[in-house]
Amino acid sequence: MLKVRDLHFRHKEGSIDVLKGISFNAPRGTITSILGPNGSGKTTLFKCISGLWKAQKGEITFDEKPVTRLSPKARAKIFSIVFQDHQPSFPFSVIDVVLLGRTSYIGVFSVPSLKDYEIASSAISTVGIESLRDTPYTQISGGERQLTLIARALAQDAPCMLLDEPTSHLDFRNQIEILKKVRELALRKNLAVLITLHDPNLAMLFSDRVIVINSGMKVAEGNPKEVINEEMMKRVYKIDVNIISSGENKMVYPRT
Amino acid sequence: MKIIKIVGLAISPIFAASFAIFIGAYEVNPVLIIKILLDRVFNFFEIGDIPEKNIIIDIRLPRVVLAGIVGGSLSCAGVCLQSIFRNPLVDPFILGISAGAAFGCAVTVGFLSFLPIQLMAFVFAMIAVGLAYGIAKTQEEVSRLALILSGVVISAFFSALVSIIKFLVDPHRLQAIVFWLMGSFSLSDWKAVKISFLAILIGVFPAFLMRWRLNVMSMGDEEARALGVNVKRERLLFIVFSTFATAISTSLCGIIGWVGLMVPHIVRMLLGPDHRVLLPLAVCLGASFMIVADTVSRTITNFDIPVGIVTALTGAPFFIYLMKIGRRETWGR
Repeated sequence: MLKVRDLHFRHKEGSIDVLKGISFNAPRGTITSILGPNGSGKTTLFKCISGLWKAQKGEITFDEKPVTRLSPKARAKIFSIVFQDHQPSFPFSVIDVVLLGRTSYIGVFSVPSLKDYEIASSAISTVGIESLRDTPYTQISGGERQLTLIARALAQDAPCMLLDEPTSHLDFRNQIEILKKVRELALRKNLAVLITLHDPNLAMLFSDRVIVINSGMKVAEGNPKEVINEEMMKRVYKIDVNIISSGENKMVYPRT
Repeated sequence: MKIIKIVGLAISPIFAASFAIFIGAYEVNPVLIIKILLDRVFNFFEIGDIPEKNIIIDIRLPRVVLAGIVGGSLSCAGVCLQSIFRNPLVDPFILGISAGAAFGCAVTVGFLSFLPIQLMAFVFAMIAVGLAYGIAKTQEEVSRLALILSGVVISAFFSALVSIIKFLVDPHRLQAIVFWLMGSFSLSDWKAVKISFLAILIGVFPAFLMRWRLNVMSMGDEEARALGVNVKRERLLFIVFSTFATAISTSLCGIIGWVGLMVPHIVRMLLGPDHRVLLPLAVCLGASFMIVADTVSRTITNFDIPVGIVTALTGAPFFIYLMKIGRRETWGR
């Protein structure tokens, strides 16, 4: 279980805290999504947990082990990260990109072994893109590229997967496909999955728990169908919405 | 198909070298050349002290070997720099590393002749790349264009400093300094070849061992770090390898541009961007390219024209071509 306790973060030259003491848990085998308007501190929280930025105060533990002071190599064995704004560099083939997930297991002066290839290949089949194995990942669609990066995260064999707005550049179908795949993986591999999302409807459909952030503070937490309601949307996003039910599911739609 | 390309590139230096050894201003009978070479190894032809032997063993052979080592080193540096900066348009020349090294050499020859020239070349080459990187860096980000621009500025700055030294030193040292501004292999000898092995030992070889890390580094700083790489440390290592290889090369044959840019691209076009294959074969192709370029530069006219001119004449159009197609194909955006 990922535990975050009283996390404070302030930019080097900043005068106010961007994160003002955030605490929450993200258990294994579940999807926890982080919701919040632009500028609420969502991305900052994400970067602090993934270790790219150092929080000034607070504690992050995974399975009771503190992770804030780990080396990049040790950290990569706990957290796998799918970044929001991945920019391809050279036209690597899909398998070469997925192999990069094995970096923390491969010595500095070494190259991937057969076993690393097997793990990478199985990650590729798990996300269902075997046919693209040898295609340059600069020439595949946005959804397929996102799947490639998820396969790379899987190859990392880390118990906690962090995804920063994994649906932001995707079309409607791909948004659903990607999140379905992530939900399936969380269950199958018993991963603690943490996702930042913009769309409260996607959060309701695909997450087990939701944490709502506003101005650097946690303002709500719990079952998405309870947390996402008219009152919260008004308070945090400053818009009027109706919540409608369809069978077990609920949907937010803005009053226009 | 792929295997043919790999083998072809891997053995290309042997062909280039055999071709180069038979061509030169002084015509030597090819059969005699083979005899001289075999005699050198097995010692059974008893050729004696004929001038042809001197020409082949002490002039042409070291020159060909040195050109090969320098071409390989510069290409290796180009591969490393393009990957760690995620920038397909950089090489040791464009980042100002070569000019920095040339300045280090010129200062040493002009005023500080008690210092080891290779060391000074390395120190100033590191200063040059540090400046180019530092200027381009704004808020943890290095934009591709800014890096090229700052490299060009640093390169121009150090070249201007070398030109100043030209005016300040006494005339009989002048020629040595002019030599560094226009790369040339005309002063090659076996001593230079021995020194050039340092570039292989401390530049090319460690980069070769770490070549898979270049795949990771080319994903960008944040991702490489998230994948488990100590980015600052490993980037510095690759900069040191590339700068060292470039500094040694520059101290032996002056500034030679464009090879480190062109060769990695050609290999990438042929075999893809995986550095496990790309790096060693770029070293091979770089060696053969430089051997051929040097052969052209010493035989096309009656003079020994600087090889830097030949590489620039091929490299500049290639750079323009890359800029034009680049946005689509060679790199993401």
